[in-house]
Amino acid sequence: MKTFRNLFLCFVVLALALAVGVAVYAQVPASAAAPPAAAPAPSPSTAELATAASKAPTTNDLAKGDPGGSITGTVNDVPVSDSKTGLTLGDTANQVGQNKIAINFVWTLVTGYLVMFMQAGFAMVESGLTRVKNANHTYMMNFFVYTVGLFSYWLIGFAIQQGGSAGNSNLGGLNSLSIEHTTAIFGKMWGIFGGTGFFLSGHPYDVGVMVLFLFEMVFMDTALTIVTGACAERWKFLAFAVSSSIMGALTYPLYANWAWGGGWLSQLGSNNQLGHGYCDFAGSGVVHAVGGITALAVSMIVGPRIGKFNRDGSSNPIIGHDVSAVLIGCFILAFGWFGFNPGSTLGASANGNLRIGTIAVDTMLAGCTGTLGALLYMWMKNGKVDYSMSGNGLLAGLVAITAPSGFVSTVGACIIGLIAGVLVCLSCSFIENVMKVDDPVGAISVHGTCGLWGVLSVGLLADGTSNYGGSWNGVNGSVTGLFYGDASQLVAQLVGISTLIGFVFTFSFLMNLAIEFFVGQRVSVETEVAGLDLPEMGQLGYPEFVLKPEPDVLLHAEKQYALA
Amino acid sequence: MAANRSQGSYYTLFLGAATVLCAGIFLWSGAMGKLLFLIGAAGIAGSLYGMFRIKSLEGRTALKPSPLVMKLIGAGASLLGWVITLFGMHLTPSVTGRLVLALVGIGVSLFGIIVILPAAFNKNAVWKS
Repeated sequence: MKTFRNLFLCFVVLALALAVGVAVYAQVPASAAAPPAAAPAPSPSTAELATAASKAPTTNDLAKGDPGGSITGTVNDVPVSDSKTGLTLGDTANQVGQNKIAINFVWTLVTGYLVMFMQAGFAMVESGLTRVKNANHTYMMNFFVYTVGLFSYWLIGFAIQQGGSAGNSNLGGLNSLSIEHTTAIFGKMWGIFGGTGFFLSGHPYDVGVMVLFLFEMVFMDTALTIVTGACAERWKFLAFAVSSSIMGALTYPLYANWAWGGGWLSQLGSNNQLGHGYCDFAGSGVVHAVGGITALAVSMIVGPRIGKFNRDGSSNPIIGHDVSAVLIGCFILAFGWFGFNPGSTLGASANGNLRIGTIAVDTMLAGCTGTLGALLYMWMKNGKVDYSMSGNGLLAGLVAITAPSGFVSTVGACIIGLIAGVLVCLSCSFIENVMKVDDPVGAISVHGTCGLWGVLSVGLLADGTSNYGGSWNGVNGSVTGLFYGDASQLVAQLVGISTLIGFVFTFSFLMNLAIEFFVGQRVSVETEVAGLDLPEMGQLGYPEFVLKPEPDVLLHAEKQYALA
Repeated sequence: MAANRSQGSYYTLFLGAATVLCAGIFLWSGAMGKLLFLIGAAGIAGSLYGMFRIKSLEGRTALKPSPLVMKLIGAGASLLGWVITLFGMHLTPSVTGRLVLALVGIGVSLFGIIVILPAAFNKNAVWKS
């Protein structure tokens, strides 16, 4: 009986093995089971490639011209790795991969060029909002900040910011940016700063890294140029140069690493289950709030312009000299913003990057409602349309949509812009009348206050429809704000805001306090009264202009200082 | 004193020294890196000393001395708010708890920036006299 049972079990096992074997055999392609042929027949894909090659236009066809564009760019244009074999599937796949990276390179570079052109817009807005006697000085600060910022960033800033940001498949992996210095806190590893990319030398001498450098550099320079506006008309050029060098080398890159370079703010989602970590798509916080908050710190130290405040604390308007420069500058900035926000995908091909259309429209709409908010608010409040606040309203809307542009709908963008437009008016009034901080161009409100609002709005209005390769900051799924069901994302954004006003402000304040001690931040009374153009620059901005005397209230204050 | 040659020279030294210092960090693993770092740091210190020496030539500015301690307290309050927010993340796992602590932290920071620091800078503000 026992023998019979064992025989039966052996039979069952053999039957099962046979059944599995047959099933597996059925899955194997017939060609694999067939004996090797002397000359293998071409696979269907290779045959299709050969057919396509035979149908491709000949040199004679192309010599006749291609006015319709239908025969330019064919299989003949795909490079062949081995001319004996001809075009293979591998060659085609390699070309597809290179096309993806090429599209992303070109997209990122061209949008970077647009952002670079924003420097011209900033120069025009800031100079237009200052007086004629300081025009050369203000233009020169905007001009020189590009140079000094770029140099500092090349030396060390880029390494701190992006030195550990390997893994971006849009730009080919960036695998040479592989060192992120971390520290363990409460049992979790947190990124603090990057460690490769100094001088763009060593392994980061790489085509993808160069593209990333160009794009990130122009962002950094945007942050630096914000400070020059808030401190215009009294900032000593030497102090400005030293301060900007430090900001481009340390302040900006550090925060940018935490948000974009794989640092601890971006890890709040994976380490602390706070949504997708701190999300700042194009830099309301990283670029604008860092610039605006640093501008607040430096303007406090530099102090208000002579004649700005009366003895009772009330303020006097000091009118800018060129409305056309201001408004044309605003348009240049709005144009550049189409590089700023859509370009922040770092690519146009794959990984959900086709959302660039929504991002561009969001950007456009937020600028529109920002202008509406500021213009209508000032019109209702003062009875007149104010050109400087209207321009600032446009910029406020654009600043505010910068962080959420990749995550919100067009309705969300309109709401964000509208709130920013009103907020910038209220903030300008608060900073001038309550804090007694003099900001000639409204940079602190436009970039600082509205930058913080932009960061916050991600946590409120991100609608969960974006999908950049299936995850963001290493957390699967789409970024979703409080109104769409994820309260923890709002907390991550608040941690970012707290870092901006708690850490970035304090760091900038102490750095510039040290510069005040060593260098001195402010020009002398004589220089300020005369205007900074001649004493600081040696040349008037408008040498053939006959300058009208200052308004009585300013003239009186200046005389007092000059005589004292 | 307005802009002058000394300012240009010291700033050139500052930038040159910063370049050497960064080269030192880049090559830190070797002896040359450490040497460059020290040379760069010395150069930056020298440039700052030079700028400090000519600072008094600038002449009187439209600023009056304001209490340094109060400024540092303001900056300290701002930093404290950030620390509160950070520790709040580890004090409680609940979203509401973290939200409240983050808001408290932001409030403390803003108190330092909006209340304490302006009071410090405006205490002896020149426009008051």
